[in-house]
Amino acid sequence: MSLLEPIVPTLLSVRRIPNADPALLAAYGADPTRHTSLGLVTCDQDDALYVALDEATKHAAVDVVFAKSFYAGSAHASGKLSGEILGVLAAAEPQSIEDGLAALTACLAHDACFYDADGARGVTVFPHVIGSLGHYLAKESGLAVGECLAYLVAPPLEATLGFDAALKAADVRAVKIVAPPTETNFACAWLTGHRRGDLAACRAAAAAFIDAVVDVALRPHAR
Amino acid sequence: MSSLTRALVAEVRARRGAADPMPPRIALPPVVAPPARVYVARRPPLTPGAASEHTTALLGIGHVGTRYATDVVLQFQAELAVAHEAVAAELTDGWAKDHGFLPLQTRVADHREYLLRPDLGRRLAPESLARLQAQAAKGVDVQVILADGLSALACMQAGPALYEATVAALRARGLTVGAPVCAKFARVWLEDEIGAEVGAKVAIILLGERPGLGTGDGLSAYLVHGPALGKTDGDRNMMSNLHARGTPADEAAPRLAALAHAMIQQGVSGVGLDLAKVDAVIERGYRAPQVRQRLVERGGAR
Amino acid sequence: MDLAATIRGVRYRFDSVKELLGRANPPKSGDDLAGVSARSTVERVAARAVLADLTLAELRANPVVPYDQDEVTRVVEDDLDDQAYKAVAHLTVGQFREWLLETTTSGATLRAVAPGLTPEMAAAVCKLMSNLDLMTVAAKCEVVVRANNTLGLPGRLSSRVQPNHPSDDVEGILASAREGLSYGCGDAVIGVNPATDTPESTAAILTALDAVCKKHAIPTQHCVLSHLTVQMKALALGCPMDLMFQSLAGTEAGNRAFGVSVALLDEAWALMKAKGTARGPNVMYFETGQGSALSSAAHHGADQLTIEARCYGLARRYRPFLVNTVVGFIGPEYLEDGPQITRAALEDHFMGKLLGLPMGCDACFTYHARMSQDELESTKVLLAAAGCTYLMSLPVGDDIMLNYQSTSFHDIPSVRRLLGKRPTPEFDAWCEAKGITRDGAPGPRFGDAGVVA
Repeated sequence: MSLLEPIVPTLLSVRRIPNADPALLAAYGADPTRHTSLGLVTCDQDDALYVALDEATKHAAVDVVFAKSFYAGSAHASGKLSGEILGVLAAAEPQSIEDGLAALTACLAHDACFYDADGARGVTVFPHVIGSLGHYLAKESGLAVGECLAYLVAPPLEATLGFDAALKAADVRAVKIVAPPTETNFACAWLTGHRRGDLAACRAAAAAFIDAVVDVALRPHAR
Repeated sequence: MSSLTRALVAEVRARRGAADPMPPRIALPPVVAPPARVYVARRPPLTPGAASEHTTALLGIGHVGTRYATDVVLQFQAELAVAHEAVAAELTDGWAKDHGFLPLQTRVADHREYLLRPDLGRRLAPESLARLQAQAAKGVDVQVILADGLSALACMQAGPALYEATVAALRARGLTVGAPVCAKFARVWLEDEIGAEVGAKVAIILLGERPGLGTGDGLSAYLVHGPALGKTDGDRNMMSNLHARGTPADEAAPRLAALAHAMIQQGVSGVGLDLAKVDAVIERGYRAPQVRQRLVERGGAR
Repeated sequence: MDLAATIRGVRYRFDSVKELLGRANPPKSGDDLAGVSARSTVERVAARAVLADLTLAELRANPVVPYDQDEVTRVVEDDLDDQAYKAVAHLTVGQFREWLLETTTSGATLRAVAPGLTPEMAAAVCKLMSNLDLMTVAAKCEVVVRANNTLGLPGRLSSRVQPNHPSDDVEGILASAREGLSYGCGDAVIGVNPATDTPESTAAILTALDAVCKKHAIPTQHCVLSHLTVQMKALALGCPMDLMFQSLAGTEAGNRAFGVSVALLDEAWALMKAKGTARGPNVMYFETGQGSALSSAAHHGADQLTIEARCYGLARRYRPFLVNTVVGFIGPEYLEDGPQITRAALEDHFMGKLLGLPMGCDACFTYHARMSQDELESTKVLLAAAGCTYLMSLPVGDDIMLNYQSTSFHDIPSVRRLLGKRPTPEFDAWCEAKGITRDGAPGPRFGDAGVVA
């Protein structure tokens, strides 16, 4: 383990329902008149999967119909395959599900992940920068498809200092701040540029967020 | 795929001077300091326990973890060496003649061929066949054959006594017995050809059996009624472990004679023989306790 | 059928499937003795190349002993499960090898296909496989059987205690048996080879073993390995008998030399089902071994591996509880040295498992074979790693009656510990309760024969 080493998420289960029952589709937020196929995934990092689900909507004709974090996170999961999130993609036919899952898997393997913030995985940080939103996170954030976003997550106190540093470091504004506790007891902020499409500002905010979180992780009692 | 975030984090790491090209270090387990001195439990020397009254099996030898104590290992290796020496031994030239037997040899030429070619060990060499035809008595009740088998040492050491006892027990039943013959490089089925040549009703071959650990003195006896080429193992009856720790000669001989007699009376041998009608004269009972011979004495060298 | 292959411009032609099977076999002194082995290493490869392209259907159509000449062939052909056979009949032997090795081919699938395989198919694919190939496939096969306890579950290694005595001294036999039990051995069977083949001594030994098993509630089986007919007479005397034993050969003539036939085996099995004392349903015990048919000139010109496979084809008719090859017992004229004995052990175990038998092995050598004690110990570990159902166990591996070297009371717990194996679940619980083991490790009464005094 070393400082800021990526902690690659694990897809704990990936299953398909090619032709789902209409009642089930409705219960999970899909539209039985448009959707027939589902792709279900569980993962041990909820925020990484939210990003990956959004990534899927950019590459395939899929909708994210269900995505919810589980209480207390993957260290306290209900089963070895539960992790801390269940995500459900819905589509008109099975091949779109396959394409969406492929994009999701690649995103988890190479892009979205937590990082080790103290060199011992005692504190982790999710300083994710999205250059262009898909329609899932666009809808969730109220921003337009194609806008940029700094998606910042850390444990409660570290996150709080981090958000403050990020907001002051660049020309960004808070789209949404979720104070602790959340389902997994982290805190989350979505920031975007004051100017539309200001990716450089999102990057600068995320960098400041990392520095602040690492500083708290290494010096929790510093005055 | 390229990742904006990965690139960003790499920049931050580089700025922090923490971009370590090496893989992360793995914590090593702590090294425990050696004790000042280690001791092993004192073990009594290998001695036979209570079970040795009833068996020569190596019982009560204890264990070190799940393995043998050193003394057991050395005893085992010494016994293995004794067995291998017994296998390698050969019937010496002139031994048969010197002990009153008509010397015969099979078609086998040497010891390795004997091990690998049982077919050659089942047939007499032409000159031996001629000698048998010229010199052996014909039309007898029982032909007894002594042979080396897989232990020439057993044949030479215990063979004559078992042969004499068997012949005496057969004659005591009023049966006629063929000429004394001794065959080199012989297999069990050699009794078929020899028995057929002399026209015996029953053939008995007494031959050295495969040596066991620490031994090489055991003989087996195989009996067949109406000996002829083509008889199989199912046509035979046998007694094994004819040695001091198993069935000694004075107990084995009457039993062999009873078996041969029953074969002549019933006209059959092997699985067809009704053993209930054999007037077996041996009661199985208590045998004198045997001590497995200690082969390695340790402790003198220092 | 044109059976030929060309290697570096030389054409190798074979007259029959039987000849091909012999030439394709790895080196065995017994095949040299029978004159059926390859005459050069290149010819051996050529034979394998031809064999790899035969289909399993062609092997079924060409048994090494014709249907009308041999009752073992008839048993195999008449008892074959046609549905299972059709699943694989179209495969070539080479394809069959690859299918067996695929990780997606599971133990459950192999068990389903087993009743559709003939011995010649098992022998043929065996000849195309390396030792590690044989182990890889055999380890997947799960054959679970039940008598008084449950043998062959995954993660288990069982053993036969073999307390033989040169004069059938019952107290001597019991002394050895008690010691073996105290090392956690004997969960497959306590099986005695008698020195004297009479119904009375068979009954006397069984009665004595039964008393020990009952007194200490030992979850195992007992057996005296006298001739089948002797055991049948012993049963008539009214003695307890958990398992009935017989040596099997792979041809009718070979079985005749052993004094048995299919009709006699059928009769013995029916008798055991009626009078045997184990709960069952598996109540028969068979031993086999490469070379035994040739030793009685009953091999019909076939190689010893194929004939060995045919023993299993016969054995499975009787749903046995135990089957083991006595691999190094027959002597150097059939398996000359350590490498040949080890190879044969892995082959026999593979073929038996593939044909659906709870295959064990007597890994052993005689003192006139060229095999060292170290080689034998390696063979035991290889067998156990391949999932061998059971091994033998004797004091220091030394059979004082049959005069050969096998597995020891100490070897079984050693190999179990090495590979993380346990005895049968019932016997494991008994060992733990008696203090012979604690969580699988040697316990306070380990090696103490007084535990079953």
